[in-house]
Amino acid sequence: MSYLAVKDASKQFGGSVRALDGVSFTVERNEFFTLLGPSGCGKTTLLRSIAGFADLTAGSISLAGTGLDSVPSHKRDIGMVFQDYAVFPHLTVAENVAFGLKARKVPAAETAARVAEALATVRLGAMATRLPAALSGGQQQRIGLARAMVIRPKLLLMDEPLSNLDAKLRIDLRDEIRDIQKSIGIAAIYVTHDQEEALAISDRICVMNAGRIEQIGTPQEIYADPRTIFVASFVGTMNVLPREAASHLGMGPDVESGRAHQLAIRPEHIRLDQGDVAPDSIRLAGMVEKYTYLGREAHVLAQTPAGKIVVQLADPSPTLRMETGSPIPLAFRRQDILSFDSSGMRLEGRGN
Amino acid sequence: MRVSFWTLVSIFAWLMLIALLVVPLGSVLLSSLQDQAGNFTLGNYTRFAETPRFRAAFVNTLIVGFGGLVGSLLLGSAMAFCMARIEIRGSRIVSLLAILALVSPPFIGAYSWIVLFGSGGLVRQTLMSWGIFIPPIFGLWGILIVFSFKFYPYVYLLASGALSNINRSLEEAAESLGLTPFQRVMKISFPLVLPAISAGGLLALIHSIADFGTPRLIGRGFNVLATEAYTLYSAEVGSNLSMATTISIVLIMLSMLFVFGQRYMSRRNVYHGNLINKPVKKKLTGFRNVAAHGVVYTIALIGAMPAFIAAIYSVRRTSGPVFHPGFGLESYRRILYNLADVVQNSLMFSFATVALIVTIGTLIGCLVARKMSVNTSLLDATLMVPYVMPGIVVGIAFVAAFNAPPLALTGTAAVIILSIFIRRLPYSVRSSASALRQVSPSMEEAAISLGYSPARAFMKVTVPLILPGIVAGGMLSFVTAINELSSSLVLYVGSTATMPVRIYIAINDGDYGTAAALSTVLLVLSSTAIYIAFRLMGRDERALL
Ligand SMILES: Nc1ncnc2c1ncn2[C@@H]1O[C@H](COP(=O)(O)OP(=O)(O)O)[C@@H](O)[C@H]1O
Ligand SMILES: [Mg+2]
Repeated sequence: MSYLAVKDASKQFGGSVRALDGVSFTVERNEFFTLLGPSGCGKTTLLRSIAGFADLTAGSISLAGTGLDSVPSHKRDIGMVFQDYAVFPHLTVAENVAFGLKARKVPAAETAARVAEALATVRLGAMATRLPAALSGGQQQRIGLARAMVIRPKLLLMDEPLSNLDAKLRIDLRDEIRDIQKSIGIAAIYVTHDQEEALAISDRICVMNAGRIEQIGTPQEIYADPRTIFVASFVGTMNVLPREAASHLGMGPDVESGRAHQLAIRPEHIRLDQGDVAPDSIRLAGMVEKYTYLGREAHVLAQTPAGKIVVQLADPSPTLRMETGSPIPLAFRRQDILSFDSSGMRLEGRGN
Repeated sequence: MRVSFWTLVSIFAWLMLIALLVVPLGSVLLSSLQDQAGNFTLGNYTRFAETPRFRAAFVNTLIVGFGGLVGSLLLGSAMAFCMARIEIRGSRIVSLLAILALVSPPFIGAYSWIVLFGSGGLVRQTLMSWGIFIPPIFGLWGILIVFSFKFYPYVYLLASGALSNINRSLEEAAESLGLTPFQRVMKISFPLVLPAISAGGLLALIHSIADFGTPRLIGRGFNVLATEAYTLYSAEVGSNLSMATTISIVLIMLSMLFVFGQRYMSRRNVYHGNLINKPVKKKLTGFRNVAAHGVVYTIALIGAMPAFIAAIYSVRRTSGPVFHPGFGLESYRRILYNLADVVQNSLMFSFATVALIVTIGTLIGCLVARKMSVNTSLLDATLMVPYVMPGIVVGIAFVAAFNAPPLALTGTAAVIILSIFIRRLPYSVRSSASALRQVSPSMEEAAISLGYSPARAFMKVTVPLILPGIVAGGMLSFVTAINELSSSLVLYVGSTATMPVRIYIAINDGDYGTAAALSTVLLVLSSTAIYIAFRLMGRDERALL
């Protein structure tokens, strides 16, 4: 029996909007599980159904062996962290954190100890007596996190908790969230539309699109072995080419037979042919259209017979010049090409 | 539990609106469609259209309405522009003066202008002794001056808010595209603040149309619909209720027309301000600086003048209605000995009204803000109606509805309290709904996820957060309630006279000392309430509108 099990969850708003369409997955104890998908795909709806703030049209949810269907949200014992922090502005930092303990009638001494511990964990010990309005966004979200954790919930839900913060803080705080989750050993569901965040933080990722699950897997599986064209293009950068490009990519008659609808290859799997590539490589002559220098890497947009292709160059030399229109020979391996059928499903497993 | 509670609130709200709005308005309409014998007729409307006196009143109402609108727009936008874009010394004092103009009841304004510029007015007499003749202020021009200086804060407060919220980059972008400063103002700034200006102008227009005290006191034969309705209703001999109700219907239609007209006009143009890239105030020098200060301070001081005049005249020595040189407290003594019951009435009625408004307004506000449905939108829309009903109409409607069993309320305190309550309720509903909308729903959800039931989460989180706003709103309702004249004037009997009613009577009797002292008491009470409100919710002049 899984710790959290969502079965065939569907949610319909009004007449036509299907926010969730037959979603099933499980989350284990201690697992960091991420819902990833573009905005509007139903992540928030799913999370709120688990928390009990929204009723499913169909389907069931069970947590730690008991069905949640008839449990009101305030009795579910599920901690929640909100995108807009939802920190109580009329209470001090410590009172915010103690709020859930009061409802549980935890004795005063124990409350004080647990609040102090939780504040120390999120590095807000010095701010205990302040009002939240005086704190930065990152600090407010730390209050939100401490407040949800201190009640030792059965499950922690986080709905895009970092999306209102600036980039640098987002990276710091996401690592902190990850460390805290592992150190207290709690099952967590994390919602984000940022694929890089999902890859960095998760044990497993569930990629969603239009109310359905596209794929569930570890970050490695999601990135390197996408099962659908949607996952392939949503996570990371992907060159997607039409089937007509197949002949230029050295693909055999099995593809010609017509099952492949789209072909895809990651920019980092294409390299410049400087006469040093493996003999079984496929070569493609291209012409530079645009060169973008990004420091750690550089992107070349090349016009080729197969279509426009982005190539990623690792650690580009600062003196490297690529003039628009100059020829650029490309090479890649056959097994790095992914092919998808007309319904967007992957056709064959990864070669290696 | 919770669902059924809000259903109860909804049912109660509708019953209340039926009793206090639909029935009185229905009675007014019914009465306007009946002849003396009670038969159906359109005769009253025909008579209204054919009688020169009523036609004149109709035209006059439009004249004072649009005159008040134009005057308020001129004064209000000039002041708004100077205050929002130019560094004005003592700008806090200026906006205090604007608030003073706003909260002092219009009839005090009329009174003070009479004291200075009436036939025997102080300024007029002085000028005459220097050989300069100006006509006494009575008549159309008097009304327009009073309205302009009384209602300009509506335009000023809304427009200055909008002006200082325009993203600076928009104006800079226009400048960088080669527009001259004048073109920039006309093409960028003006369209952006137009919705605010038109909303302020509408408030000035509606109040000008509805106001009864000013044309009554200073008009001297210049009659408008509100005064005609009152005359017809209150005539000792030949009181004509059905003609009074006919005029009331016309007056409501007129107000409605303007409200919906303004809504229609500014519907497309809602611009959201910004809080980051605010425009900076320019520091002017030399003549232009003096001119800007001159404009601002002239408007502000003249607007607040009635309050000062009332305060000064309240401590002049009097014997009976006659002023003597020097100062004394006779007027206050007279209030203490003869008019204590009037002060007491005013306070009691106002507190009762505020208690009703706060509880019922908050409940309906929660309903409207949280339970979105056809029912609540309809409720919200229906509440717009009392918002545009002139006080005199509410008074007459309550008489028409409640002067016979089963609801024979005329002459009671309850009828005065309810009449003020229903007029102020829309503000309270709106303000508590908007206070509630400011509280993110995730705040309550956070409490629920931490183990509080929905009802406890509401009490523990939402109520403390909206409480200051609600108390502040109550204070502002108190200001409105205690200054209310026109509906009370229709509904009062000897034992239920209020301060505004008594001031009106005193001015009519020429007892200016008593009027000044009562007005000062009113102003002090109002200012205290506003001070408390601003302390609670931060200083936000626009909450007064
Ligand atoms: N209360 C609601 N009423 C109607 N439609 C809704 C409501 N909440 C969400 N939706 C719709 O459901 C879909 C999924 O929304 P949501 O779960 O918020 O997506 P996400 O969190 O992934 O951005 C969207 O199309 C949204 O418009
Ligand atoms: Mg969302």
